[in-house]
Amino acid sequence: MSWRGANGLRPWLMQRLSAVYIAGFLLFILFNLAAAPVISFDAWRGWVASPLVNAAIALFVLALLIHAWVGTRDVLMDYVKPVALRFVLLTLFALIFLISLFWSLRVLFSVPPS
Amino acid sequence: MPAKAFLPQRHGVHRDNGNLFSMCILCLCGKLFWQLRAWLAAMSRKTETMRFLIYRYNPDEGKPPRMQEYRLDGFDSGDKLLDALLRIKAELDPTLSFRRSCGEGVCGADSLNINGRNGLACITPLNELGETVEIRPLPGRPVIRDLVVDMEQFYHQYRAVKPWLTVHDPEPETEYLQTPEQRDQLDGLYECILCGCCSTACPSFWWNPDKFRGPAALLQAWRFLADSRDQATGDRLAELEGPYHLFRCHSIMNCVDVCPKGLNPTQAIGNIKKLMLKHHV
Repeated sequence: MSWRGANGLRPWLMQRLSAVYIAGFLLFILFNLAAAPVISFDAWRGWVASPLVNAAIALFVLALLIHAWVGTRDVLMDYVKPVALRFVLLTLFALIFLISLFWSLRVLFSVPPS
Repeated sequence: MPAKAFLPQRHGVHRDNGNLFSMCILCLCGKLFWQLRAWLAAMSRKTETMRFLIYRYNPDEGKPPRMQEYRLDGFDSGDKLLDALLRIKAELDPTLSFRRSCGEGVCGADSLNINGRNGLACITPLNELGETVEIRPLPGRPVIRDLVVDMEQFYHQYRAVKPWLTVHDPEPETEYLQTPEQRDQLDGLYECILCGCCSTACPSFWWNPDKFRGPAALLQAWRFLADSRDQATGDRLAELEGPYHLFRCHSIMNCVDVCPKGLNPTQAIGNIKKLMLKHHV
């Protein structure tokens, strides 16, 4: 796949792939919580600390933010015509999403494996 | 002995007499049928008045657009909206402007926004519209006068997808051949009449009519990508790459909803995306 300049197909594909992962992850979470409801903070912490769940949540945050970025970019491209304003808004959202990513990862990695 | 020999022999004179008799019967039945039809039509003639609110704009007057009301009655049950428009122009207001040509859903000239929904006036039955009918020009297009809009941008996008067969091989001595299965791929694509109902109902086309090709043009792009005889697949896909030409489509599906020919541009666009993916990975 040619990544350089391919800014039509690539975001669309990322949106599709992230959607698949988000849907799968939500099913996984719902199934898990239905099978074994987490009732205490320690149990919750322990569950999140297991490497598989921790990695799955990290990937989920990444997929969610990629999905949000493509969607936001589409909305801004459709509705915000002045280039300067669009640039400012795109930068603003990119910053918000990046900060959210790093903050989420920090929280996730701060949970010590039990 | 073959079974055929048991069939009764039919001679010339006999057969002719039979045809003459059945023709008389058919003729009488036909006459009776048309008479019945006429009676039924007369019985079901609508007596109630219909109200038409029609968008009026004349750039020479220098006044803003307005909605003008017309009232008409005495429609036949089979009358279409175009019949009403023609009667309004003939009986009430000769200044009313609109496009029409074939009058039977083939040419795509009389596409209008009817009660908020794009469609062809000539195949929209009046009795499905209710008592008040609001008629506006196709949304998002510059109005030339009344219901007549400038479709140039729409045609520009259509031209941009190069809607013709491109073959790099030397031309064959006879026709370009296709198997019936290959020909089947074009069904649901070639029937487009370019009336513009879909593209002018598409929000993505409203926001970016200069860059987004729109459902009508993209349906035709897929019509030639799907054609087994076409050899410009790479060029066609490269032209559609980028954030605007193809990928402004967010599968809103207004196009599918309004297409008077029942075609599915959203599916065609999905097929283009899939083919593009196949070409890139």
